[in-house]
Amino acid sequence: MKYVALLSVALATVAAGLLLGPASVPAGEFLRSPIVWQLRLPRVVLAYLVGGALGVAGVGLQALVRNPLADPFLLGLSGGAGLGAVVAIALHLPGPWALPLAAFAGAVGAMVLVYRLGLIGGTGGAGGELDPRILLLGGVAVGAFAAAITTALVSLAEATELRNAFLWLWGGFSAASWTTVLVMLVYAPLPLAVIAAAARPLDLLALGEEPAQYLGADVRRLKQLVYLAASLLTAAAVAISGVIGFVGLIVPHVCRLVWGRLHRTLIPTSFLTGGILLAAADTLARTAVAPRELPVGIVTALIGVPLFAFLLRRWTVS
Amino acid sequence: MRRWAHRTHLAGFLACIAAACGTGNRALPSGGITVTDDAGRAVTLARPARRIVSLLPSFTELLFAMGAGDRLVGRTAWCDYPPAALAVPNVGDGMPPNIEAVAARRPDLVVLYRSAQNAPAASQLERLDIHVVVLDLNQLTDLGRVARILGRLTGRERSADSLGQAMDSVASQPPAPSTYSLAFIVWDNPPIVIGAGSYLDRLAALAGARNVFHDIGSPSAQVSIETIAARDPDFVAVLSDSATQPSFAARPEWRVVRAVRRGHFLLLPGQLFGRPSPRVAQAIRELRNRLNGEGGAP
Amino acid sequence: MDRELIVAICDLTCRYADAPRDALREVSLEVNAGEFHAVLGPNGSGKTTLVRAALGLLRPTGGRAEILGRAASEWSRRDLARVVGVVPQREDNLFPQRVRETVLLGRYPHLSLFGSVRETDRAAVERALVACDVRDLSDRWLWTLSGGEYQRVRLARALAQEPRLLVLDEPTTSLDLRHEMELFELVRELVDARRLGALMITHHVNLAARFADQVLILADGRAAARGAPAEALTRDTVERVFSWPVAIKPFDGRPQMIPLRQRKDAP
Repeated sequence: MKYVALLSVALATVAAGLLLGPASVPAGEFLRSPIVWQLRLPRVVLAYLVGGALGVAGVGLQALVRNPLADPFLLGLSGGAGLGAVVAIALHLPGPWALPLAAFAGAVGAMVLVYRLGLIGGTGGAGGELDPRILLLGGVAVGAFAAAITTALVSLAEATELRNAFLWLWGGFSAASWTTVLVMLVYAPLPLAVIAAAARPLDLLALGEEPAQYLGADVRRLKQLVYLAASLLTAAAVAISGVIGFVGLIVPHVCRLVWGRLHRTLIPTSFLTGGILLAAADTLARTAVAPRELPVGIVTALIGVPLFAFLLRRWTVS
Repeated sequence: MRRWAHRTHLAGFLACIAAACGTGNRALPSGGITVTDDAGRAVTLARPARRIVSLLPSFTELLFAMGAGDRLVGRTAWCDYPPAALAVPNVGDGMPPNIEAVAARRPDLVVLYRSAQNAPAASQLERLDIHVVVLDLNQLTDLGRVARILGRLTGRERSADSLGQAMDSVASQPPAPSTYSLAFIVWDNPPIVIGAGSYLDRLAALAGARNVFHDIGSPSAQVSIETIAARDPDFVAVLSDSATQPSFAARPEWRVVRAVRRGHFLLLPGQLFGRPSPRVAQAIRELRNRLNGEGGAP
Repeated sequence: MDRELIVAICDLTCRYADAPRDALREVSLEVNAGEFHAVLGPNGSGKTTLVRAALGLLRPTGGRAEILGRAASEWSRRDLARVVGVVPQREDNLFPQRVRETVLLGRYPHLSLFGSVRETDRAAVERALVACDVRDLSDRWLWTLSGGEYQRVRLARALAQEPRLLVLDEPTTSLDLRHEMELFELVRELVDARRLGALMITHHVNLAARFADQVLILADGRAAARGAPAEALTRDTVERVFSWPVAIKPFDGRPQMIPLRQRKDAP
């Protein structure tokens, strides 16, 4: 029953995203309007996919570092993506895809660096084991370092255009098109499937690494796969839409409250809920102050922070 | 984001020392020159400034235009007009001003753009006993007033007055009947456009083009592509020194905007259009010509 | 009764990275089906290391550890979890969960990748809940349980794995007398009734002597004694290993240790 409700809300959100917008589209032209087909629909779908991906990345990551306060962007990816974007602008890399590709490369670079830092014992490859605490600390450190380089570049390069890279980093779906949707549709299923397949061992991981192994989880491989999958999802999200906070943090919590803590339900419901949250936030961002637009990251924070505070209270009170 | 479009192309250092512009008409021997700047501060100089640092390209242009260019001892990296300005020592990008670099020019007057970012610089410079005048220069209507204030501080009242008069008469022109509509797009992701509270909005009106985002009161704002498409401007104006279309023109989501699809771009060089300048009349003429030249059938 | 060897440990030696000395040195142990083994020893004597190495979490530097005739390191975690159920000393409760969910975790090594919980799994959970006398608690949140109930739930989870061997690492620490006795009796009963092997790490010398078939006493990573309680728990060994004077008295055919008051009772 709860699933039916969730699916209905998901459909309603997408429908609202299609129907609402700063431009008025006459009902008769609705199905033929390029505003609907080329702008609203790809944008709603993209926001949904990114929200879902962030929700799932958040679930995977919180289970991995065994800290319910982890956000996918804690792992240094936003810093790496920002650096990539600024470098792309500073070097005047040509082409409409230069910015997202460079941001993606930056995020993946940060991911590799944090992964190497987090790998303890052995010489990498087969021998090493990820330490989630080092992963978190390394993520914060790499993120701060990348942000420092970014700021240095911006202030040294004397190019005011670079300031706009920060605007882009605040997040938004202005660049949504069917091409971006297609990229996400091709890209996201693999990491999503990896996390979904790890659902049961992730349940075990909540007990601790040693108990999880005694219950049959191959913890070493589990941590590596989930870290890589969650990071790749986040890297794609940041490349497509900048840093959108709170989705990856809040959505897993909401889903845990409603559906319980088992990842077999947590993962699909987090995808659906993350999509709902971000698609709704984007619709609000487009329409609330029309003709102007709000950065969607601000809307998710405005919705997310009070919600999160409420949840925290409920948690600490019970 | 406010004042964005201007600040990006403004921001300069302006040091000016007033040469012995002895003809300082009403420069009373005893009281010196006193003006009230846009921060409400009284600025008193014993005599016309002879060593000036200008921290905004528009100030630099105004000073040259009133014949005080030879008193400039410092400018920002952005001050690229007139060509003679390039011979003035560069004190950095001015965002925020590098106090030591400015002070090293030993100015007797620093002309500073009024912004929250620049406020600490003003008080720091004053602690070094350097006179600072803080001025607004965001709109076409600011040009005449700023020209007169700078004229008084440099003792070039006569030429500053006639410059100011020219600026004011441009500013007070009734807008030409608008034949075309346009949108200024200063950034594409997220899309940032120019609103009514800006120099460019007025410039467009005087050139006979209606800014489709004139209803947005602030100088610039983030909007969605959908809104731009719905406003359906005849032209998309972009500040650009290049002759090729901006890269977003190739992106599918932007091609929903009719002007983008048809390639109706106005590529406006930042030096002439990116800041309020004494060449405003030339800028209006050029925009009008471009509209009529390229707008055969928008 | 034919003897069925479940765990065979021979001359096992382990050293942690960067440690100055071996955590475990040439320790041997054999656990057969239907046998209850207790591992005794002071803190830091290598008890938990022994379990880790025996179950393949730690690569030994010498000797070998085999489960059902196969080297522990060759087992996949999943296959091993179908054969060995562990009640670890510590585990986290990151998220609130209910008793039945917890016990269901024991079925995970039996589930397929995306497969759902089948009837056989539910039945196994039910049996484990009944066997550990926690069925009435099924819908309780874990954090509302008493210490004794919690340990029985964790034992039920291990039982739901349907293992051949139970490993318990200090399961009665911080339990009161009744719950402690209940747990020992439960393990003994499971060993006898289901012919499970059991390996329990404990500090409780006397309960180990009463309930276990075999004891292994570790000191500084070495086996100080090994065998039936009556043979292994001599006064000499116990005093040496625990560095405290004791008296050993028989009770019900098993040796019982009485620690002496050093300032008053000592001869």
